[in-house]
Amino acid sequence: MAAAAGLALCLGAVAGTGISSATTRASSSSSGKLTIWTDSARLPMVKLYAKDHPKVKVDIVTFDGGANGDGSVESKIALFNRVGHGWPDIIFSEEANDVQRLAAPQFDNFASVLNKGLVSTSVLKNYATGALAPCMVGGKLECLRNDMAFDVLWVNVPLMKKWGYSVPQTWQQWQAIGMGVAKNHPGYIVGTAGDSFDDSIYLQAAQCPVNDLINSYTLLDDPSSPNCTRMGKLLDPLVADKSLPVVYSLASTFGKQYASKTLMLIGPAWYSGAIFEGSGSEFNSPKGTWAAYPPLAWGSPSAKAWTGDVGGGLWIMSSHAADPKLAASAMTWLATSTPSQNLSQGYPGYVPAAKSWVAQQDAGHFFASPLAPTFSKAVGEVWPGFAESPWDAYGLWAANALPNLASGASFSSQIGVIGTQLSNAAQSAGFQVVTKP
Amino acid sequence: MNVADGLPVPVRTKRSPGRGQAAGRKRAGYLFVGLYVALLLLFGVVPTGYALYLSLTRPGGKWAGLADFLNTGHDYRFLPAFEHIAVYLLVWLVVLVVLVLFLALMLHGGVRRTVPFFRFLLYMPGALAGSASVLVWLFMLDPPLSPWRFVESLFHLSSLPQVVLPDHLPFVFAVIAFWTGAGGWIVVMNGALNNISDEVIDSARIDGANAWQLAFSIKLPLIKKWVVYMVILAFATGTQLFVEPTLVSTASFGEVSQFWSPNQLAYYMAFTEANFNGAAAISVDLLVVCLMVAALLVFRSKFFEIE
Repeated sequence: MAAAAGLALCLGAVAGTGISSATTRASSSSSGKLTIWTDSARLPMVKLYAKDHPKVKVDIVTFDGGANGDGSVESKIALFNRVGHGWPDIIFSEEANDVQRLAAPQFDNFASVLNKGLVSTSVLKNYATGALAPCMVGGKLECLRNDMAFDVLWVNVPLMKKWGYSVPQTWQQWQAIGMGVAKNHPGYIVGTAGDSFDDSIYLQAAQCPVNDLINSYTLLDDPSSPNCTRMGKLLDPLVADKSLPVVYSLASTFGKQYASKTLMLIGPAWYSGAIFEGSGSEFNSPKGTWAAYPPLAWGSPSAKAWTGDVGGGLWIMSSHAADPKLAASAMTWLATSTPSQNLSQGYPGYVPAAKSWVAQQDAGHFFASPLAPTFSKAVGEVWPGFAESPWDAYGLWAANALPNLASGASFSSQIGVIGTQLSNAAQSAGFQVVTKP
Repeated sequence: MNVADGLPVPVRTKRSPGRGQAAGRKRAGYLFVGLYVALLLLFGVVPTGYALYLSLTRPGGKWAGLADFLNTGHDYRFLPAFEHIAVYLLVWLVVLVVLVLFLALMLHGGVRRTVPFFRFLLYMPGALAGSASVLVWLFMLDPPLSPWRFVESLFHLSSLPQVVLPDHLPFVFAVIAFWTGAGGWIVVMNGALNNISDEVIDSARIDGANAWQLAFSIKLPLIKKWVVYMVILAFATGTQLFVEPTLVSTASFGEVSQFWSPNQLAYYMAFTEANFNGAAAISVDLLVVCLMVAALLVFRSKFFEIE
């Protein structure tokens, strides 16, 4: 899952390297041996851990992080389980649903349960609301969240001013601007509808219950719910008039086609580095062009806004670790300590680290207004009813709804398609599917 | 200089090889075949046996009968994957046989001097290793990047999501497979055509056969077994299609499903869902299909009969 999220996270800007001496002294006394698997984007964090803990012999293995749901974490674990040895102590996974996949019986309880003494509650309570939801397997905490990937409204501020629009606060205002743009500035866009994670960007924000795990064996999947159809109806005219084109926002061609033609985008926090900032980003925009605004509300600006989230990495500890205490402390350091999280490429899920991280981002003054107020608000607005599941909700959207959208079908007509696919996938994974809570 | 120069040289009669020589040849034969048999056992027969074992058992080794086959057969991804591959095979095998024979016959009927050049030209795309050539095609297919975007615009294709629509995929993969694999077959067919003795061709010409009659009534029947051989191997590679859909899936951010072909589904089951037994069952399904088609072709064409 988090298709492409991992890819985008890799593109993100690397933050500074201030090391808090208090944390260093407290943790560097531990000793032992650890094997840590990481993707290349998280490598600086693991290297810093090794440097900061000279008595711990750290064997660092770099792998693809399970990017785009390729299953590399599962494949390795499955093979190690067959031969009975070889497991690493800690794994960083780019796939926010990896813990849910690893919960299947055939993986033989690979992930350690952390909330039964391995990680203290004083640490866990500092996590943002919902940050640990992808780690929960029937009341057991089986990972620590690295970064959050909530969706916000990204706005091209100078263009908005030039055309005299005000920044929308509701989906309806956003739709009106989209229709105006299609009429008055054809070729310009207010978002995209060609990504694998669009079910999360639009359906999750509308609180559409198509992938809601109401317990560890039941999926609530009701694509005909008014919450779903209302979003379909809102998007249909924009997809039809091409102000919401069916293009991949992470393809190398997106910047080439739309860098100068984008008024707004609705997308995850990590768009900052993936789309806007830096030479590795899609747009490589000039300073002061883009700004993040809070998630859109439904109907009235005063209504409670909900948003989707696209990915976010996880730290998973092996239940086969030779020294569980050492592994747990190392993982806690990687996932929550400020020195480690300052190197994160996405907004940290651990609140104290997030404050430091976003302050660092804003210090560069790349964005037209600081990210901190928007990000700290949006992080608590992720709708919990679109769950990380053992199946790949993004992959199913991409493979089944996207081709139809590309050949001219309406967004509305695809909500039923994804509903059926999610239902099939859930049943195939042994879940029961209900349409009413 | 030979002292016998200018004198009639006695013709040396061919003697049958001595016992020592025969044994040496036999040994060399066994050595060559032995190497092949060892590799076949290690990387062909043993894995196949293991797949059979896995497909008939549950995790832990308990006997499962046909349960793995039934479970995977009822999986919602199973039928679509086999449908995809059936349509793809139909497109690809027809394109392969028609175009390879056409090009090989053209090459063989061509001017002798230019043959090596064109043979090389046709072979060249195939010289690029499999996945690398698929990557080249990813650029060729993406309209904003492709040098052939004007051809794509003729079909009203302006973005990659439109190019890789489900209905287009069998054709897209067939085109990729043709350019990466057909060159080698053209060279093989050219070799087979070169084996036809000049006398046969000359007598046909003297009897008044024109170029078409020569190609269809004389050359084609003589290389029939090579065509059957090509179809058997191409069918086997076709059913195992993996690299093309996997890379296009990555490039299209998942628009092409990760379990488009049966081989991909088996891979996904084994390595993402840790269902090795189910994956083995799908592999065995593929093996059975391939064996049946190969057997049919071998018997119908009397493949192993020596004329």
